[in-house]
Amino acid sequence: MSNTAMKKKVLLMGKSGSGKTSMRSIIFANYIARDTRRLGATIDVEHSHVRFLGNLVLNLWDCGGQDTFMENYFTSQRDNIFRNVEVLIYVFDVESRELEKDMHYYQSCLEAILQNSPDAKVFCLVHKMDLVQEDQRDLIFKEREEDLKRLSRPLACTCFRTSIWDETLYKAWSSIVYQLIPNVQQLETNLRNFAQIIEADEVLLFERATFLVISHYQCKEQRDAHRFEKISNIIKQFKLSCSKLAASFQSMEVRNSNFAAFIDVFTSNTYVMVIMSDPSIPSAATLINIRNARKHFEKLERVDGPKHSLHMRMR
Amino acid sequence: MEEEGRPLLSSQHAADSPQASAGSVDARAKRPFYVEPRNIVDHDPQERISAEAAILNSRLHYYSRLTGSSDPLLSPPNHVVPQPEEIYIYSPLGIAFKIPEGDQTSKNSSLISIFAIWNTMMGTSILSIPWGIKQAGFTLGVVILVLTGLLTLYCCYIVLKSPRTIKSVDTTDWEFPDVCRHYFGKFGQWSSLLFSLVSLLGAMVVYWVLMSNFLFNTGQFIYNQAHNINVSDSQFGNNGSDQVICPYPVIHPEGDDCGSGGGDAGNDISFGRYWSKTNTVPLYLIVLLLPLLSFRSASFFARFTFLGTISVVYLIVLVTIKAVRLGFHLEFHWFDPTHFYVPEFRALFPQLTGVLTLAFFIHNCIITLMKNNKHQENNVRDLSVAYLLVGLTYLYVGVLIFGSFPSPPLVKDCIQPNFLDNFPSNDVLVFVARMCLLFQMVTVYPMLGYLVRVQVMGQFFGNHYPSFFHVLVLNIFIVGLGVLMAKFYPNIGSIIRFSGAICGLALVFVFPALVHMIPLKREGRLTWLSAVLHSFLIVIGVANVVAQFLM
Repeated sequence: MSNTAMKKKVLLMGKSGSGKTSMRSIIFANYIARDTRRLGATIDVEHSHVRFLGNLVLNLWDCGGQDTFMENYFTSQRDNIFRNVEVLIYVFDVESRELEKDMHYYQSCLEAILQNSPDAKVFCLVHKMDLVQEDQRDLIFKEREEDLKRLSRPLACTCFRTSIWDETLYKAWSSIVYQLIPNVQQLETNLRNFAQIIEADEVLLFERATFLVISHYQCKEQRDAHRFEKISNIIKQFKLSCSKLAASFQSMEVRNSNFAAFIDVFTSNTYVMVIMSDPSIPSAATLINIRNARKHFEKLERVDGPKHSLHMRMR
Repeated sequence: MEEEGRPLLSSQHAADSPQASAGSVDARAKRPFYVEPRNIVDHDPQERISAEAAILNSRLHYYSRLTGSSDPLLSPPNHVVPQPEEIYIYSPLGIAFKIPEGDQTSKNSSLISIFAIWNTMMGTSILSIPWGIKQAGFTLGVVILVLTGLLTLYCCYIVLKSPRTIKSVDTTDWEFPDVCRHYFGKFGQWSSLLFSLVSLLGAMVVYWVLMSNFLFNTGQFIYNQAHNINVSDSQFGNNGSDQVICPYPVIHPEGDDCGSGGGDAGNDISFGRYWSKTNTVPLYLIVLLLPLLSFRSASFFARFTFLGTISVVYLIVLVTIKAVRLGFHLEFHWFDPTHFYVPEFRALFPQLTGVLTLAFFIHNCIITLMKNNKHQENNVRDLSVAYLLVGLTYLYVGVLIFGSFPSPPLVKDCIQPNFLDNFPSNDVLVFVARMCLLFQMVTVYPMLGYLVRVQVMGQFFGNHYPSFFHVLVLNIFIVGLGVLMAKFYPNIGSIIRFSGAICGLALVFVFPALVHMIPLKREGRLTWLSAVLHSFLIVIGVANVVAQFLM
């Protein structure tokens, strides 16, 4: 019962040096100051107040570092760390030559999860795949995936291969977010209806903190397959600039003679981006449509609610 | 970054050394960064850049906002950035051109590679070759020179192809000590470093002795010319215009080093006190060279490598002129010693092998030298040609000096470990040679000191220049060693043969033989004959060192 008062967590764990801090910085647009990295293992004792999917808090832990201080702190605070976890994301460095040790630490994390948060979803990221030769990537990933799936029983884990130097990182995190949205199929159907009603070329639904694309609808084939990541990067850079002025970003309209694009807050967890290629439709019309849709989608979210209130009703 | 293990694909991981950002050599930071030419007005179906490049550009823009500008954490590694062939530079006027191919690593033609190897191998050991031939006997000396050349060539060939025997790691920027580390672990790394240091320190000591010698003779010459002193009568030599002298006319039956003591200048006592080959001149050099050694970088001195080539070419010309003027004095007495000549086969031949091991030594840097060869498939041929040229040069100088040494008045045994010592200090041609060599050595000495510093400081402190004090202590040690040798034991022949045999033991004979045998054994392809022959190589290396002490 007291769980509902505490925020649910997303744990981002992995060996020291596996790339978690870089990953978090890229996905959540956090600035990495050089000094904090030089301190060695990430000592993320405080909660990082990133609102992720509305009510989730991201915690970053180094699992299995050589630092004895970290080891002791970790084992003594274990229950505290692993309680109330919604998602565990474990990062493996594909380059690491200590596979046995990595698996061992992963298993101990899983044990702690089983004890404290048995309903948590587990995701494994095999990271730094750009360091593997291209023709070997599929093979190596398949091997790791099989091992991890086997080790994770009875929990089910979903594996992704990632690298910060290609689209795999963005796609992996988009898939993770997609699986965490409670009623995502319904959202998608409603999104499609919305797009067709307002005669938009394309409508995208982004997660609020990370601008990961949760769902999208397009009425015709688009040229650029990487456009989601590009938009995400552009908006995150804009957010970084805004935060330097202690301002926050709420909405944006970009228009020229060929198209109009609207980015606006949608629901408590999401942003929407609407692309209209008919320039004769005035902005006001589209904005009113978005506003009305917002009310409708918020109702959707409230009715089916986030997971913990679902638990409450079932009890 | 932690050294957890070897990468699956060797990437130039973010330059960890702090020096990388300071120097201008970090090419990645300077790589051209094109601005995506977006045309949002026209529906131009033809994209001017590939989709991957466009998204990489977007990522780079974003990642560069996330950390400090000098932070290499989110900087693209080499295998991610497009190849130079795929990068276009757009000018504001609308033209685009490609980066000229291969401007980062210039490739050399075979001729340049051969010349670079010849130039690097030609050292001061050329001055000791006549003495070495004399110690071994003429015929035996020539035979040994040819055989040692072939043997060291073969070992060099093994060293050159050794990185390619390692298939599990990418070895493109490995040198021979890295290969030793791979096969023999820390022991291999440390011992190859140690033996490499032996050769470097030996060379530096020889340089100090020679520099004292040349400076002394130069000063002597200038003094004699200024005061119009004729020294030809006071020294024991042949008569005539081309005088060759025997500086130490005391005859030892074994004919070994007569390098102790002596060297004081001619008539004027007070000048002789201030300008003494062993007592004062080595100390004067400290004033000049110790500051040069403290330079942080040796790139300034690298500009003067042409002096070395000029000196060697001049020596060859000098030797030819002297031989023409003196004529040949060769008599073949096979085994019995005579007064004026030496037997053709002598028991002191290990001294020659010791000298030649250092004379043909390039094994610690041959991989780097050959890396920029344009046609890598010709590496073996080019290496062989280079060794042939080096061998011919040594042979030419050695045979001519030995042959033209005027034996009836003088004994062949008088040939000095530094053959220029056999010419009086008033000989103009030789004076020029000494000056050239002096200049050349003054510029090479700091470079050798830099190499020693880099290797010692790098291994012990991880930093090439930990502090001025550390470097000063090291320099004082090196200079002190040179001064002591110049004062008490200025026989460069012995210094060369000892350091040559010792460093050759590891880097020429033992490690290459083992590095050749071990991968073959692992693959099961090592034949008995090959194993026996290569083990014999190791025996030769050990015998070489032992013989230096016994003979």
